Amino acid sequence: MPAPAGSTRGLKRAHFREARLPLLLLLPQLLVLLLFFFIPALRALSQSFVLTDPFGNSVQFVWFDNFRRLLASPEYRASIGVTFWFTLAQNALTIVVSLVLAFATDRILRGRGFYRSIILLPYAIAPVIAGILWAFLFNTAVGPISFVLHGLGIDWDPNRHGIDAFLLVTFAASWKHICYDYIFLIAALLSVPPSLLEAAAVDGAGPLLRFVRISLPMIGPTIFFLAVMNFVYGFFETFAIVDAVTHGGPGGATMILVYKVYIDGFVHIDLGSSAAQSVLMMIFALVLTVLQFRYVERNVNYDV
Amino acid sequence: MNLTKRSLFTGMLAAGIAAGGVVPAFAQQRVEIQFWHAMSGVLGERVDEIVKRFNDSQTKYAVVATNKGNYDEVINATIAAYRAKKAPQIVQIYERGFMAMLLSGAIVPVQDLMTEKKKQVDFSDFIKPVASYYQYKGKLMSMPFNSSTPILFYNKEQFEKAGFSGPADTWAEFEKQLYAIKSKGAAECGSSLAGDYFWSLMENYSTVNDQPWGTKSNGYDGLDTEFVYNKTRLVQQVTRLQKWVNDGIIQIAGQGLSPQQLFTSGKCATYFASTAAHGGIEREPSIKWSATYLPHEADLTARNSSIGGATLWVMKGHKSEEYDGVAAFLEFLAKPDLQVWWHEVTGYVPISNTAYQMAKSAGYYKDHPTREIAILQLNRGTPTPNSQGFHFGNYTQATFALREEMESVFANKKTPQQGLDDAVRRGNELLRQFEKLNAGKY
Repeated sequence: MPAPAGSTRGLKRAHFREARLPLLLLLPQLLVLLLFFFIPALRALSQSFVLTDPFGNSVQFVWFDNFRRLLASPEYRASIGVTFWFTLAQNALTIVVSLVLAFATDRILRGRGFYRSIILLPYAIAPVIAGILWAFLFNTAVGPISFVLHGLGIDWDPNRHGIDAFLLVTFAASWKHICYDYIFLIAALLSVPPSLLEAAAVDGAGPLLRFVRISLPMIGPTIFFLAVMNFVYGFFETFAIVDAVTHGGPGGATMILVYKVYIDGFVHIDLGSSAAQSVLMMIFALVLTVLQFRYVERNVNYDV
Repeated sequence: MNLTKRSLFTGMLAAGIAAGGVVPAFAQQRVEIQFWHAMSGVLGERVDEIVKRFNDSQTKYAVVATNKGNYDEVINATIAAYRAKKAPQIVQIYERGFMAMLLSGAIVPVQDLMTEKKKQVDFSDFIKPVASYYQYKGKLMSMPFNSSTPILFYNKEQFEKAGFSGPADTWAEFEKQLYAIKSKGAAECGSSLAGDYFWSLMENYSTVNDQPWGTKSNGYDGLDTEFVYNKTRLVQQVTRLQKWVNDGIIQIAGQGLSPQQLFTSGKCATYFASTAAHGGIEREPSIKWSATYLPHEADLTARNSSIGGATLWVMKGHKSEEYDGVAAFLEFLAKPDLQVWWHEVTGYVPISNTAYQMAKSAGYYKDHPTREIAILQLNRGTPTPNSQGFHFGNYTQATFALREEMESVFANKKTPQQGLDDAVRRGNELLRQFEKLNAGKY
């Protein structure tokens, strides 16, 4: 007999008889949220309706002008496109590569710790350093990898070709985040019951088949969690890499939304537009997360 | 109760005395003047030297110089500090920030301050391109400090190897030379594209060839100015640059590599850069180099180039005795002998005619002929409304848009005309925004 929903509610009520204790326990987190999320978000919202000079000496209330200006600007629309493809490419690349690595190291017995440490290393590198590293390796004039690519007859030039710069930033961002996904995936793989795998092995399934048919479905929730995390990472935390590798160029080819917020707000001090952009970004992020939970999570099986 | 209060007081006093022992004695009697600047590396050391000289020269004021990063970062730090009511007294702001500072309502015009404090500065002695850039209604708004202009550095050996005595005067001839240098194998690439090419190869192309950048005398005559550089000979220049990039004649250094290295390492034969690059290039002895004027169009008369660099702005809201110190420091900076020294150690142009004459009569340019090019080029011909300077609001943003469009042009995603059209469209939106915010102020 399936447990009725009411019984879980009863369980919660049994644990917390009065309202004060849970509130008290929540308070620290609520305070942090208030200080670092709600107050800044409200300020951004109020900023987004005004036009102001950098020094703050003349402020004009302009209703939705900042939003209208943004949505009418081809540059902003291009930035949305870049962000979409970047987040998607970064997400797919990160998960696929870390899955392969996790699958591979899961089967290694000797020196497993050593392999893991090496794979985890990039996570300890500051994004700016990682960015500079990639920018240098792939620099058109002096980068060793560019040299090889040019030798192979590939016209590699991230300073000019938007697609090259886009790939470079995607690789750098994924490389930096693969370790994060890897830790979670390796832990998830370890929790797959060996008895199932052994049973499959006895039935004659090879390692790859066992991985695809047994391990993969069982680590579904982890993969879904990582997809959400990668998305948040790509959306908000890749700023330093873009700043170090391309500055959003060439011609806006790597101008992701969060970098544009920074450029317009902190370099050009167009606070109204920058605030409007952060409000829009917040909306995009919310909508996409909700969509992810509604449509992707449906296919994730938590019960296995 | 009383006792504890007293012991607390003596304790604080003792702590105060102890702390006082650490701080140099003068800091207590002297009036402190904060000076934020964007000079890093060797230039930063030179600024520290100036400040030390000033502090040693008198006992009333102590100037404290702080490097706040690059020009963008300095203006942003200033804005943040101003909003928090903690602005320094003196800030170094680049030429692109002129209109933003002028109409900010946050500054004290320098010439007014100097007159009020009865300081002897001959404002008519500043060289014309410098004075005209930073003047508003006939008065200097900020103190000229480090001014430069782009010149053409070139590798002598590579030009000789290709059979030329030096770069040609006109763009058409110069272009042929660069192609010859590459095809004859004298150098791997003809030119290295500097990070500020929009200034050296576009804005200064327009001033030298007397092409308008915007209406209303490049913004001097009103906030309702519009960019028009998509309808001038600049289109031809950008077409040329695009062709050079496509043919590998000009090299874009990209992130992680300094364009100057491509020139000083001998990879590229020429380098269009600020005369202030002298300081760095002279320290790399690996190539035989020289410098000359920017090329011009064969059918047009070459005029003066435009300045770049920065000036010192005085911020509002400080005490009168602090402004005494500010005025004393600025007066000290304007002294010709200090100007000559600054010019010689950095490569920036001497900003007053007296300083220039002093360097000249001391025979400095006989040993360093390339150091004189910038000032001769700045003073060439009579300035026109197109060559006196650029007074555009939101100009950093407009420049950013221009650079982004140029990147699309270099990537062949847009034709030169399309790229410039888009840059003008984006720039004009920014101008209108600035006009709206500052209506009636200019």
